[in-house]
Amino acid sequence: MSSLIDLPFDEPEPSAASKPAKDPEVRERRRVVFSVSDITAGIRGLLETEYAEVWVEGEISNCRLWNTGHLYFTLKDPGAQLKAVMFKSQVRTLKFKPEDGLHVIVRGRLSVYDPKGEYQIVCDQVEPHGLGALQLAFDQLKRRLQSEGLFDGARKRPLPSFPRKIGIVTSLDGAAIRDIIKVLGRRYPNAHIVIRPTRVQGEGAAADIARGLNDIVTLPGIDVVIVGRGGGSVEDLWAFNEEIVARAIVASPVPVISAVGHEVDVTIADFAADVRAPTPSAAAEIVVARKEDFCTHIERLGERLTGAVRGSIARLDSRVHQLNRRPGFAGWSARLALRGRHCAETTHALRHAARAGINKRLRVYQNLRLQLEQFDLRRRLGTVRARLVRVDGTLLAAALHRRHDAERRLNSCAARLDSLSPLAVLGRGYAVVWDESRTHVIRRAVEVKPGDRVRVTLSEGELNCDVTDD
Amino acid sequence: MDSTSTIKDFEAAIAELETIVRKLEEGDLPLEKSLELYERGVQLSRFCHTRLEEAEKRIEILNERGDLRPAGAIFSKDDDRK
Repeated sequence: MSSLIDLPFDEPEPSAASKPAKDPEVRERRRVVFSVSDITAGIRGLLETEYAEVWVEGEISNCRLWNTGHLYFTLKDPGAQLKAVMFKSQVRTLKFKPEDGLHVIVRGRLSVYDPKGEYQIVCDQVEPHGLGALQLAFDQLKRRLQSEGLFDGARKRPLPSFPRKIGIVTSLDGAAIRDIIKVLGRRYPNAHIVIRPTRVQGEGAAADIARGLNDIVTLPGIDVVIVGRGGGSVEDLWAFNEEIVARAIVASPVPVISAVGHEVDVTIADFAADVRAPTPSAAAEIVVARKEDFCTHIERLGERLTGAVRGSIARLDSRVHQLNRRPGFAGWSARLALRGRHCAETTHALRHAARAGINKRLRVYQNLRLQLEQFDLRRRLGTVRARLVRVDGTLLAAALHRRHDAERRLNSCAARLDSLSPLAVLGRGYAVVWDESRTHVIRRAVEVKPGDRVRVTLSEGELNCDVTDD
Repeated sequence: MDSTSTIKDFEAAIAELETIVRKLEEGDLPLEKSLELYERGVQLSRFCHTRLEEAEKRIEILNERGDLRPAGAIFSKDDDRK
């Protein structure tokens, strides 16, 4: 390493001692003049062939990621500096973010940037010195998300007291899902489980897990989500150290339990999750414990409820007993009995008095009624009616008598009138002559003159006659 | 019956039950009130028990298209083997 830096400067030194002895003319003859470009190209050729693949260790400084996507930095140690560049296509493969102060080992080739006459190392790989790149990436992401507050205790949600519908995001082929179902099947037989299968390792696994999380929390009624996988290498578990998974966990509206690998494996997902379970089985146990705690809680509340009511009844009961024993209540029941008897007696007296009053009034009434009967209105009415009948009879007889008398007198008058009637003579052949109007009886012939009309009444019928002067 | 329908959900039921138990344990309540609370408490407790029992075991798979289907066949065999 040090030979790389020392080489160009070391070379003249051995000749320095012999310099004054050399003939200036000899040197003049040997003079070859290069253009800057030529010499630069020559140097580049030397460097590129000599240092086509080297490992260099140093500390990063002046680290800048350009808009073009290329990364520029300087590697330094206490004695020297080396410019370095990493092109876009390589930068993308970095798990961690190179930053100032980082002690790294880079792999690359040396080259020269002609326009500036600077030599530099073109890196195709950068790895942190000491810890692995993955570890560094882990630390960096952890620090960044932590500073954003994603891991804050205040952000963590409590698990539901009674998880009914449990979402699981993991691979269907892994050990994790079997472990979880085994535990739930044994200790929480009526659990409702929804599995969202995802890849859990390899390219694209992290995005898959994040999408799975986003999908499953949109199902109605999901109370809690378990996300994880079984054990494996750090690389196998890497998807759970990706930012996209951490952010999906944080964005979940329901609490998330992370369950990645074994007890010793700690991932970024574990920090982001509301609860970290050391293993998938443990995640299931946590859910079961919540449910069992809850059942116990309800049991206990039921017992306390009954106990409390019994207690309060017992307290009231003993208060009644205590009060009963107070001096104020001495002979209380006897006094009550006495009052009761008094009450009964008074009631009896009242009833008696009422009945006597009624009887007295009844007697008065009967007397009055008797008197009334003696007055005997009905009989007097009978007498009056009999008298009326008698008067009636007399009146009728008198009326009848008077009517017979009148009839008799009428008959005798009629007979006499009949005998006196001039018309009776007509039966013997006489006739009566009347004037035309039959109002005046013609007694003398002079009373009429020829041309007059007279009427002649015969015994039977009448004649109209004209008077002539014959 | 009627009052069971006034229980909103599980969490609400538990919260109410806890409050009732606390009140009763503090005592100092008239007998009528305690019995009234007790009755409500028993109702809530029964509600919770019913809810605990009523769920039935179910395993479903949610695929990428958002379809849910039962997964019984995939896991029950393995469970039996174990």
